[in-house]
Amino acid sequence: MASKFGLAGGIPERRVRPIWDAVDSRQYKAALKLCTALLAKHPTSPYVLALKALILERMGKPDEALSVSLDAKERLYSDNIFHFDDLTLSTLQIVFQRLERLDLATSCYEYACTKYPSNLELMMGLFNCYVREYSYVKQQQTAIKMYKTVGEERFLLWAICSIQLQVHFSSGGEKLLPLAEALLKKHISSHSLHEPEALALYVSILEQQAKYDAALEVLSGDMGSLLGREEDKLRLQGRLLAHASSYVAASEIYQKVLESCPDDWESFLHYIGCLLEHDVNLPKPCTGEHASPSCSVDSAMTKKSCLSEELVESRLASALSFVQRLQESNSSDCVRGPHLASIEIERQRCLNGIPNDRKLIEALVKYFSRFGHLSCSASDVATYLHMLSSDEITELLAEISGSFDASSVSVNTLGLTVTLVKVQELLGMLFTKSTAELQGIAKGLVDTFYRNLPLSNDLDPQESMYGEELLSMASSILVQLFWRTRNLGYLLEAILVLEFGLTVRKYVWQYKINLVHLYSYLGALPLAHKWYITLEVKNILLESVSHHILPQLLDSPFLQHAADLVKDYLKFMDDHLKESADLTCLAYRHRTYSKVIEFVQFKDRLQRSMQYLSAKSDSVMLQLKQKAESLEEVESILENASHGTRLVEVSNEDNMKQLTFNEDLEARPWWTPTSSVNFLSEQFDEGSTPSSYRNKMCKHKSEEKGGPKLKDAERKSLVPRLVYLSTHGCAYFLREGGRNNGSCNVTAAGEMKTLLEKYARSIGYSIDDALSIVLGMSSGKKAVKDYTPDIVSWMSFTVFINAWNLCSTESVIPATEFSSPNSWDMVDILLKICIEEQLTDGNRMLTSPGNNIPLLVRMVTEPISWHLLIIQSCMRGMAPQGKKKKKGGPSERPNTPQLLAIQSSVNRMVDTLRRVQTWLSDQMKPEEQALDVLLSYLQGTSTEGPGQISRTLDESAVTVSSEIGGRIAQSLESWSSAGVIRKILGAEKETIAEFKKICDSKLKLLMSESASLSSMLH
Amino acid sequence: MVCIRQATIDDLLAMQACNLMCLPENYQMKYYLYHMLSWPQLLFVAEDYGGRIVGYVLAKMEEDPSEPCHGHITSLAVLRSHRKLGLATKLMSAAQAAMDQVFGAEYVSLHVRRSNRAAFNLYTSTLGYQIHDIEAKYYADGEDAFDMRKPLRQPQPKKHHHHHHHHGPGGCCSHDAPPAAAAGSSPSSRLNLWRGADGHTLCFLFFFFFFELLD
Repeated sequence: MASKFGLAGGIPERRVRPIWDAVDSRQYKAALKLCTALLAKHPTSPYVLALKALILERMGKPDEALSVSLDAKERLYSDNIFHFDDLTLSTLQIVFQRLERLDLATSCYEYACTKYPSNLELMMGLFNCYVREYSYVKQQQTAIKMYKTVGEERFLLWAICSIQLQVHFSSGGEKLLPLAEALLKKHISSHSLHEPEALALYVSILEQQAKYDAALEVLSGDMGSLLGREEDKLRLQGRLLAHASSYVAASEIYQKVLESCPDDWESFLHYIGCLLEHDVNLPKPCTGEHASPSCSVDSAMTKKSCLSEELVESRLASALSFVQRLQESNSSDCVRGPHLASIEIERQRCLNGIPNDRKLIEALVKYFSRFGHLSCSASDVATYLHMLSSDEITELLAEISGSFDASSVSVNTLGLTVTLVKVQELLGMLFTKSTAELQGIAKGLVDTFYRNLPLSNDLDPQESMYGEELLSMASSILVQLFWRTRNLGYLLEAILVLEFGLTVRKYVWQYKINLVHLYSYLGALPLAHKWYITLEVKNILLESVSHHILPQLLDSPFLQHAADLVKDYLKFMDDHLKESADLTCLAYRHRTYSKVIEFVQFKDRLQRSMQYLSAKSDSVMLQLKQKAESLEEVESILENASHGTRLVEVSNEDNMKQLTFNEDLEARPWWTPTSSVNFLSEQFDEGSTPSSYRNKMCKHKSEEKGGPKLKDAERKSLVPRLVYLSTHGCAYFLREGGRNNGSCNVTAAGEMKTLLEKYARSIGYSIDDALSIVLGMSSGKKAVKDYTPDIVSWMSFTVFINAWNLCSTESVIPATEFSSPNSWDMVDILLKICIEEQLTDGNRMLTSPGNNIPLLVRMVTEPISWHLLIIQSCMRGMAPQGKKKKKGGPSERPNTPQLLAIQSSVNRMVDTLRRVQTWLSDQMKPEEQALDVLLSYLQGTSTEGPGQISRTLDESAVTVSSEIGGRIAQSLESWSSAGVIRKILGAEKETIAEFKKICDSKLKLLMSESASLSSMLH
Repeated sequence: MVCIRQATIDDLLAMQACNLMCLPENYQMKYYLYHMLSWPQLLFVAEDYGGRIVGYVLAKMEEDPSEPCHGHITSLAVLRSHRKLGLATKLMSAAQAAMDQVFGAEYVSLHVRRSNRAAFNLYTSTLGYQIHDIEAKYYADGEDAFDMRKPLRQPQPKKHHHHHHHHGPGGCCSHDAPPAAAAGSSPSSRLNLWRGADGHTLCFLFFFFFFELLD
């Protein structure tokens, strides 16, 4: 049964080789030809059939591929088969996997393994099948069978890994740990272990059962030598000792680690923790998710020790002298750990209530005097800075600024200048300064940047410039000035500073990210998008970085850009999840057992990603929005999306509870700590303190994982199904022409009710309350303003209520004291009120950033689109049907009241959209006139007000060639502030034009519906 | 930095964020994962005091059995804010030491862009690499690469070759060929790479992908 020499799957190898070569070189047509010829000679060979299936699949013919591979499978199963070999099976496996039929591949191997029970190769194949299906129990059983057959260590470890996976992923799995331990013990007693990864697995099995002493014994025995690097072993020992509460021994071990790796900060923290006998078994905050270092606090290390004050004092004193020894023996600037350690020791003193007088500030001053020129020095000590009193801060700043001559041009001076401002920025000190002071600082930073440019002239263009941070900081200050004064000029200057920096060197990611957010806020989304594209975000970064642009794009008229981004993201995630099982097989094969577990956990984390769930809905929604003017296209989109049912399923409560958030929020600028918050849209609070801003920011970041975003995602996942039911239900109902129809519609109406209940709940109301609110809003009894944050959801809700009402057998709208209101009227009026409120509130887009274009776009592309789809579907339902028309005659009477209601709705929609069009046209000004308006914000001549910095930039660009020359001068030749402003205007114009296009196509549809309505009514 | 430690798979997010902040990296994620799952001992990250990843080194062992056992540095990145702290040196030293101690590598190789003077200086003057060869148009944009090497130990007799975790049957895609491929002609061993039972398929796909990268 195994392949014989020169045979592949029972076929002479020389005949098969050309086919594989053709496949390798993607010559699928040629491969198919060769394969067909071979098949003529061996018509029943499962191997050749499998090959043919593989080629067909590559050619993009999945259906044919499946039928041929099923044929191959049939023949494999038939009894007279001679060559039942792994090559055939593995080829079939590839095809089935690509066809997403893992179950078929598995059943082939299962069958083969029962037929040839002790064939190791087949069993390995079967094991891999189970790995691909994440069937941990079956994996375990198969691995044990292999282990029993050949007695090899690796198969035992495959089984142990499979047990570990059950421990992590199935409830009650930890009951299997003793079994794993027993299996390993038995093997070790006769064979010992031979691989470091095997030892690590054994230790972790013991550790999970809290058998720390046993684990330590293993490490100190013969097997301990398997860990090649001494420090790795020491760190592991230290951890086990700490878990076993053997703090003294653990701290000695960590001391050893620090002696050989003085910069190992984690070991230092463990060392201090052991000295102070902190319980290491406390849960660590936010594991497995993107932590925000600036906000997180290490829970164990911020607690007071339970030891007596004297003991703490003496232990910290001994730690200090140890650390000082480390400092002396490591004099290089590259080893900062021991120096930072002495600050941490002082912090521990404070936390434990030991009067410290000035020790903390002294330690910090010392740190800055030694490392202050390094660009990481401020962030190194960020946590400690927040512990200082305001007098101490003043003292520290004075010390730093006294340590260098700010006017000299050198890398060192530049570093210290940056640190000085960064410390103030970190502490939120800039919030307490006056407008004039801030302006002076920003100007100073830009000047310093320019003055130091010659330092960077010889650097490769890809190398970062000296003092790059200066421009980020200046821009950030200008944004703050805008927030305070609402003077648009500052915002424009904040942009100009960054654009200037990118003209000098185009690779600075921090400038780009800040520009993405500034342009988005300003309403110049095409420019934001352009800079985002240059970041070349790909792979896993699509998961962690997309939040910088995706939310803005989703609410913009640039539906195609948004769709592209979502498509790329989903493709990456889908592909990764598909491929990850094969990579797990690789880890088994390479015996990196710890990685098997990590990797499966990682896959799980991505699979449960909040953004992934959300993007699946976005993808369907975007298609619907783009095609909302064609009911046929919408129907086919929905058909491909399982009529919205899958989205409803994935957003069930259990799934929603387990979502992961992998966005890296750290890189966001301060004014928008999460995608749902923008401080610039709020009032500047004069009375707030630096620390209150920090708290506010951290609060937003921690809330990001909570309610509103989840609710939003849940709501979105319902919309495609609601659209489907609405269009389907209305058409059906109206075609049947009355309320006497069958069960189909009853089910549809019932499902709509359930979904609308869920929808209302996601806005925070019961369906009855929600209904009375929309009735109140449309009758003018309730103010739309009170429901602003979710207004688009309210509008969509109303649209769906109308559809539900149309296809429901009973009236869903509660009767008021006057009369039962028409549900069409309710929609028309509510949509009109909500949109008009935006139009009257709307400021001039040009001069008021943070405008309501995104909100208007959503109103038009969501509720109005859904409503137009319902109208289209009603029209289709009521249109006289071709055949009946000829036969019918008088029995086919139009449903006049409905037609009239639709007609009035169409007319009102036309009216509303036309108002939007007019408003948009009003926003457009001739370019030169608009340019003058914006430039006038930068004309300030006094020392107060914006304008100085933009002038500095323009002047610098002119003098640069004489003063600096070289590459930098060349790149700045094209610089002009007015040029940047012109681009902003262009981008705003593009946005309006795109939005107008969307309105146009909707109006066009409405006009044609209106025409058919008139002809039907007359 | 501070801690130079072995990377976990969860670090991948932060590692790729380094690429965003340094220069865009053109490797696919599969390629990173292939390294992580095959030679986790060679993959190090530099972690800052706040637990932030500020640099990493990605390295592998050469899989071609016809060459002496050696390691290869695939990628090295350090955040701009954390340059000039000796991080790159520490990361490289950690990876090199692991190649030597865990896998018994004779030497370590790497490619560097001809124009990348900063990296070139680091490799030659600080880390002791020497130019072994020049690979013309190695990079997608047509730029040449220096093929650089640094010896780790005296060349060992052949038996040390691949003595690492690939010992035993079925360990690595490059040897212990099952009977069908034992014929040894190059197409048949290639054919063998398609054999999926113990994952050979992936190796093949990996190489395939890798060559695409170099195109």
